[in-house]
Amino acid sequence: MSAENMLPVQRDDASAAFFDAAAEGRLLVHQCPQGHLFAPQISTCPRCQSTELSWSEASGRATLASYAVINRRGQSELPVAIVELDEGPWIRMQLQDVSTGDLKVGLPLQIRFAAPEGGEPLPYAVPA
Amino acid sequence: MTKLDAAIVGLGMTDMGKVYGRTGTQFAVEAIGKAAADAGLKVSDIDGLLVNYGLTRAVGMPLAADLGLRNLSVLSEIQAYGSSAGVMVMQAAAAVASGQATAVACVFSDVPLTEGKRAGATYSDPKNRLHPGFLGMPAGGGLLGPNVGYALAARRHMDKYGTTSEQFGHIAISTRKWAELNPIAQMRTPLTMEDHQESRYIVDPLHLFDCCLVSNGAIAVIVTSGEKARDLAKPPVYLHGGAQCHPGYIDERDSEFGLVSGAKLSGERAFKMAGVTVDQIGVREIYDCYTYTTLITLEDYGFCAKGEGGALAESGALAPGGSLPTNTGGGQLSGYYMWGMTPLSEAVIQGRGEGGERQVADNDYILVSGNGGVLQHHATLILSPHPKEA
Repeated sequence: MSAENMLPVQRDDASAAFFDAAAEGRLLVHQCPQGHLFAPQISTCPRCQSTELSWSEASGRATLASYAVINRRGQSELPVAIVELDEGPWIRMQLQDVSTGDLKVGLPLQIRFAAPEGGEPLPYAVPA
Repeated sequence: MTKLDAAIVGLGMTDMGKVYGRTGTQFAVEAIGKAAADAGLKVSDIDGLLVNYGLTRAVGMPLAADLGLRNLSVLSEIQAYGSSAGVMVMQAAAAVASGQATAVACVFSDVPLTEGKRAGATYSDPKNRLHPGFLGMPAGGGLLGPNVGYALAARRHMDKYGTTSEQFGHIAISTRKWAELNPIAQMRTPLTMEDHQESRYIVDPLHLFDCCLVSNGAIAVIVTSGEKARDLAKPPVYLHGGAQCHPGYIDERDSEFGLVSGAKLSGERAFKMAGVTVDQIGVREIYDCYTYTTLITLEDYGFCAKGEGGALAESGALAPGGSLPTNTGGGQLSGYYMWGMTPLSEAVIQGRGEGGERQVADNDYILVSGNGGVLQHHATLILSPHPKEA
């Protein structure tokens, strides 16, 4: 678990519950009264426009939907991804513990969290 | 709104690129002054003003006062990112067609470059991006700026359709060949596949030469009714069709993000309004923030089948002498980066027949695309030197 390549992000009202769960290693996604699941960063159900949202704990299992490798001149390269949770939602996050040569769409992943100093715990993904 | 009797009658461009020491307002005033003079109008003849500020929010509605424009009948800031130029022209056309205004200036101005700082620094500066809460979460994980978003989009296309980096390279090369013929393009030295492949990755799969320039400067156009246009100084470039599409990708399984862009529906709607087919387009001015963007946009407009954009690029059709001249001024990759005003300005030049050695003979129908955000916004214009038959 490493937060060395992360920048601190502060919580706001909408994200407080998400970050509280993240601190316990749990990944929350949004759910509307009809049971639609969607990404935590989306604040209105894209299917029924409900704003009566609850949080649902996701399994933390995911696959790689797309990936890219940032060339940070003078530092190590940083792989980042669109991660598709098994439940369906996408979250963009960094990848760790993987060599870039092994990256391919569909790679099974597991979500973890790391907190950079002065910031909330942020999700990242490692090969499952 | 299927009948828009409107034309672009003035084009004004400042020096662009590494031009320092001037404000966004100063650039915008110069561009509008030049556009008015180009049309044979005085600035005081302008009775509508639409303003699109760029990344640095360097210009806005107060520009009207800097221009000495009083009692305007149309004034707004327009923001649909890279699709704004097309959106402004359509709004201006609607204003003149409905009698709300007679001459509407549309301007984009930005000053993202600071002397001594890397070109991309403004676009990926965490200070500009690190919002609290979910908005800041991708940036906190290192996903800063548009390069990352487009790299992720491009990878999806590569994975699904087998598109290759060399095929992106062909787009960079053909666009550079056009730039060599444009005196105001910023990058005019020939580019080889080796140059492209050996250029450093910005974000793998995007090499340096897959990415657009960053430029300071401003471009303005003036829109009047088609009828008024015929009495002005320059040959009018008439608007035959225009449409937007904002796909509204949902971040979840089966999203078409990276695979299908707003060009598909925006193009269909614009072709329908213009009453033309894709085969009738002689010149393509495509928003090319990245080589990948050119490729997917051409595919979605129907210049080739879905997934065959790479093969189209490889074929040489897009380059000078090819069957599908594309980005004839060098685009944003090699020409100048003025958001949607880059393709629009070159379309006006081609529509007037003022392209010099790069002028395309068949300019009857010119397609202009605008693309904003990371593929979230799209605008299409179809322009012609010939009036639209009622």
